[in-house]
Amino acid sequence: MASTTEEINVPSLVVILVISGLIIRYFFFSPTAPPPSPQQQQRDALAALRSREAAVQRIQQMFPQAERRTILWDLQRNGGNIAMTTERILAGRMDVPPILFQPPPPPADNNATGGQSTAGAGAQAAAKKDDKLAQPDLITRYNLKDKIAAEAVSEVAVEAEAEAATARSGNGRAPKAWSTNKEERQSLLQRRRDEMILEARRKMEAKIAAEKAAKAEAAGGSGSS
Amino acid sequence: MIWTCIRIPRPHQQPPEGITAGPVSEDDLLHWEALIQGPEGTPFEGGVFPAELRFPKDYPLAPPTMKFLGEVWHPNVYPSGLVCISILHAPGDDPNHYEHASERWSPIQSVEKILISVMSMLAEPNDESPANVEAAKMWRDRRAEYEDKVRDGVRRMLGL
Repeated sequence: MASTTEEINVPSLVVILVISGLIIRYFFFSPTAPPPSPQQQQRDALAALRSREAAVQRIQQMFPQAERRTILWDLQRNGGNIAMTTERILAGRMDVPPILFQPPPPPADNNATGGQSTAGAGAQAAAKKDDKLAQPDLITRYNLKDKIAAEAVSEVAVEAEAEAATARSGNGRAPKAWSTNKEERQSLLQRRRDEMILEARRKMEAKIAAEKAAKAEAAGGSGSS
Repeated sequence: MIWTCIRIPRPHQQPPEGITAGPVSEDDLLHWEALIQGPEGTPFEGGVFPAELRFPKDYPLAPPTMKFLGEVWHPNVYPSGLVCISILHAPGDDPNHYEHASERWSPIQSVEKILISVMSMLAEPNDESPANVEAAKMWRDRRAEYEDKVRDGVRRMLGL
């Protein structure tokens, strides 16, 4: 009799132990379950900081005279509402921030571009800066040197290429149609762009040549007379 | 100031000839690149001007921004390349009611319309409230010099 109750009790005891173990684990060790939470918080804070920075830049583009600290103070008080801050600047109702309010310094890469870009990662901004400094012409920008060289080699080749292009488009692949293929769409656009630039360059070359010829003729005419 | 920009005449009703535009990459549809041909009969004639269009996340409620890549000497283009025309400004941007609401951005405007407006801006600058003060002065007082400078820029852009 006693042995049967013991036999029933052992599994139920095990069950109870397991359940209580789980409960204890749930209550006392739950913080260990999501360990990346501080990281997450940090990331959130960083994102908030970045969006706040973008808001400040946007407002400063509109109001270069407004001070960064004042803008940040106002944004902090109204929860990052750009429209409200803008309105308050316009109405001249900006409050002077207390001395204790010391905002973090502006990120360095945004300073480099002079606060021009409101949106854009650091790499993008840097790329843009280089772009601005170098002021590349369209030929270097779109890597059209080869095409120009090929064109210079023989006009016939260009014609053949054009013929090939028309033949290709005649092969049931209409160039105007909206392609469902991503890469195809992109390459189509690129081809149109290249053609546009090359044609403009060809025309401009012809124009310059004509001008030169006219000038030479005028010079020759005046020389002989 | 954003709202002290020019008023654009109604764009001519013509197909956008001489305009190519599309996303730089199909993965980011909010970043476009456009090529605009210089309008004929102006010093910009024969030129091709690259520009980037950046669309905000809440497009079409908010207008995109447009920026010329490279040098464009024009009274209504900032030295940074940023284009200043009324169609790119949301109606809320203009507390002085300087620009008519019909000329400003609304969700029914299109990229095509923007680019056509920019083309007509190249042809007809407005020096009432210039973005590039030096260019505006030159355009007003020394037109020949302005046109020469623009033509030089056009040729440089084409690598000639």
